[in-house]
Amino acid sequence: MTKTSTLPRGERSSATPGRRRAHPARKASGLPVWSIPYVLLIPGLVVIAALLLYPLVQMVTISFQKVGLLQISGRRPAEWLGWENYASIFDNDIFWSSLRNTVVFAVVAVPLTLILGTAVGVLLHRLGSKMSLFVIIGIMFAWAVPPVAQGVIWRWLFDAEAGIINWALNLLPDSLSSALFGRADWTGEPWLNDTWSIYMVLTICVVWAGFPFIAVSVLAGLKGIPAELYEAARVDGSTPWRTFRKITFPLLKPVFAVLTVLSIIWDFKVFSQLYVLAGTTNRDAYNLSMYAVTEAFKAPQKMGSGAAIAVVLTVILLIVTAAYIRQMFKQEEL
Amino acid sequence: MRIAKITATAVATATLALGLAACGSSEAPPTSSPAAAGGPKFAGKTLTLWRLGDSNPDAKKYTDELVAEFQKQTGATVKVEWIPWPQVNDKFTAAAAGGAGPDVTEIGNDQVPLWQSQEALEPVTDIVSSGDQAQIPKNLMGLETIDGETYAIPWGGGSRAVLYRADWFKELGIEVPKTWDELVAAAKKIQEEKGSDVDGFAFNGGSDANHLLGALAWTAGGEYAVKEGDRWVGKLTEPGFKEGFAQYTSLVTDGLSSKSRLSQNTTEIRTRFSNGKVGMYLTAAWDLASIEEESNGELKGDKLAFFPLPAKGGGEAQSFLGGNDIAVWALAKEMDAAKEFVKLATNKEWGVRYATEGGLLPVYSDALSALASDPVQAPFAAAFAKAKAFPADPQWTEANETKAVLQNAARQVIEGDATADEALAAANKELEDILNAS
Repeated sequence: MTKTSTLPRGERSSATPGRRRAHPARKASGLPVWSIPYVLLIPGLVVIAALLLYPLVQMVTISFQKVGLLQISGRRPAEWLGWENYASIFDNDIFWSSLRNTVVFAVVAVPLTLILGTAVGVLLHRLGSKMSLFVIIGIMFAWAVPPVAQGVIWRWLFDAEAGIINWALNLLPDSLSSALFGRADWTGEPWLNDTWSIYMVLTICVVWAGFPFIAVSVLAGLKGIPAELYEAARVDGSTPWRTFRKITFPLLKPVFAVLTVLSIIWDFKVFSQLYVLAGTTNRDAYNLSMYAVTEAFKAPQKMGSGAAIAVVLTVILLIVTAAYIRQMFKQEEL
Repeated sequence: MRIAKITATAVATATLALGLAACGSSEAPPTSSPAAAGGPKFAGKTLTLWRLGDSNPDAKKYTDELVAEFQKQTGATVKVEWIPWPQVNDKFTAAAAGGAGPDVTEIGNDQVPLWQSQEALEPVTDIVSSGDQAQIPKNLMGLETIDGETYAIPWGGGSRAVLYRADWFKELGIEVPKTWDELVAAAKKIQEEKGSDVDGFAFNGGSDANHLLGALAWTAGGEYAVKEGDRWVGKLTEPGFKEGFAQYTSLVTDGLSSKSRLSQNTTEIRTRFSNGKVGMYLTAAWDLASIEEESNGELKGDKLAFFPLPAKGGGEAQSFLGGNDIAVWALAKEMDAAKEFVKLATNKEWGVRYATEGGLLPVYSDALSALASDPVQAPFAAAFAKAKAFPADPQWTEANETKAVLQNAARQVIEGDATADEALAAANKELEDILNAS
């Protein structure tokens, strides 16, 4: 479309014949026109480089070094260790149990968050505007709770003696409770001892706080789908599930792609909630972030090993995200 | 009156110092005020002092008076910051990494090897080899002396004993336990009468769990690790340690303490005790002031008392040779003033006052032996005589707190994920690896 307006002014051929105002722009800024987009990118790149790339490079460097307090405070030079930090963490059982916890948690929590979020998003779309607003405000409260407070809330709900969960389970008729769980007495049930039950509570906590964002994003996507499509589907006698699969899902695919990648990233690196729920003594319940933090910052500080764990976590995230995005574009091409 | 006494002491000390100086010089004036003697030589300077633990009225009063005295003598002002025990290592970490740190700090004696290895402590060998401080028994400085240099000065000893609700014992007609079995029976009785959410005897599985586990294991004849040559050899799988470990985990498996609080530390137990949810736990007299405060003045005086942790077959258990030291931080901005402050704080007058007013045992032997008649302190003095210490190695903190090796072994056994033999064998290997690292 822009091509139609390209009539070179004067005889001189411009470096960018596509732009009519190439000549005046050059005069004003003194920069070649091709460089303008790059110049405009510089501020952003500088900020990203300072806040993200530099720490990232530092982290990778430190992961090959022996760095403790003496090195951090500059009283001793850092010592180059090669792959020693990596060898020692791969050798440690805590690393493997942390890796398992991290991956299993993400595999469970990401789909749950997306499914629940999408369901609520679709529900919001069908509600009347007042009710929809009411529900959005309600769920956004959960999303707005800071991570540490989320941990504290769920820790109290699942508290062995003062928690409402054990109280509520005890209120169930004994026969029902026995039929469902094989037991009737829940007094003093410790939810935050075993790794599996800690992660169950953590999953509930993270899904609870994560789904509102998905729901609202999906709602925004749904608003952009023309109502005619749904009318046509209704006329053709499509079931709600079929409508979702054939209309909503394909049209919202870009939205889901972004939300999935974000959820994967968030759930892989969850830390604050786990820190509050499990504490630092129970190392069976560590995930990679917790393990990295205790290695790096608990006395005696081994920031090299901590950085090595963080690098492993970053690499895993990059692979998962890259694989997912590639898969998505492949499907697009078909 | 106290000020008068202090002034008198200061004058006497000053005169003495001048008398000695006079040997070399005849110009020294015969009379001089303490201010001129100590000199306002640090006038206008500000020291930062880190006191550890929760500020309570007794400790605060002592600190204020000490600081006032130091200001009078040297003109320097001292800023006091209170660091709760569970945060101590994190605060030291931040300070050693270049953050805002102290000039002088209180420090747990078992933390000294770690922070010395991080070059965070300044040697104070010259202080302990002269003056009052030369009277502090050298066997109390095992953890503080590394390669011939002393890095911290013992300030007060703190062995632990069992704190119990004397009012409950009286109400329920329980005698003070003399054996482990009597202790278990007493704990069960408390739970029967006071509710199942009360811990008869609180299990400690948090950052300072080894104070309890250690007491039980040492008493049974066990050891954590022994240095053979220049290598640490783990002793966790030997019968003595196993017996103590079994006693430790049985606190939960026998129901004396709830399974839902496997990782509580002494501070958390104390809070529950203040709320009437604990019958007995292992601690020291420094908790008394905080309990009175936390319970809004309800738990104090004769409602609380101590008895020495009994051994399985009767007699007193061995206790952890705990103690608080005072040290000069290596990154201190006012090094000379800091050393001067440490010298004052650990001299006989202020050192003994620190211990007796803070609920600890004095490190000066004559003051310690005087405590045998004190009803509160006698159990500690008795335990102190038999006290033992953890492996003196900078890596001990890694095993003790960071990796929490034995806390996790206990958790596995209590949860039924491993037998005691399996858990201790794995813990033993890990402990050896950690202690022998670097």
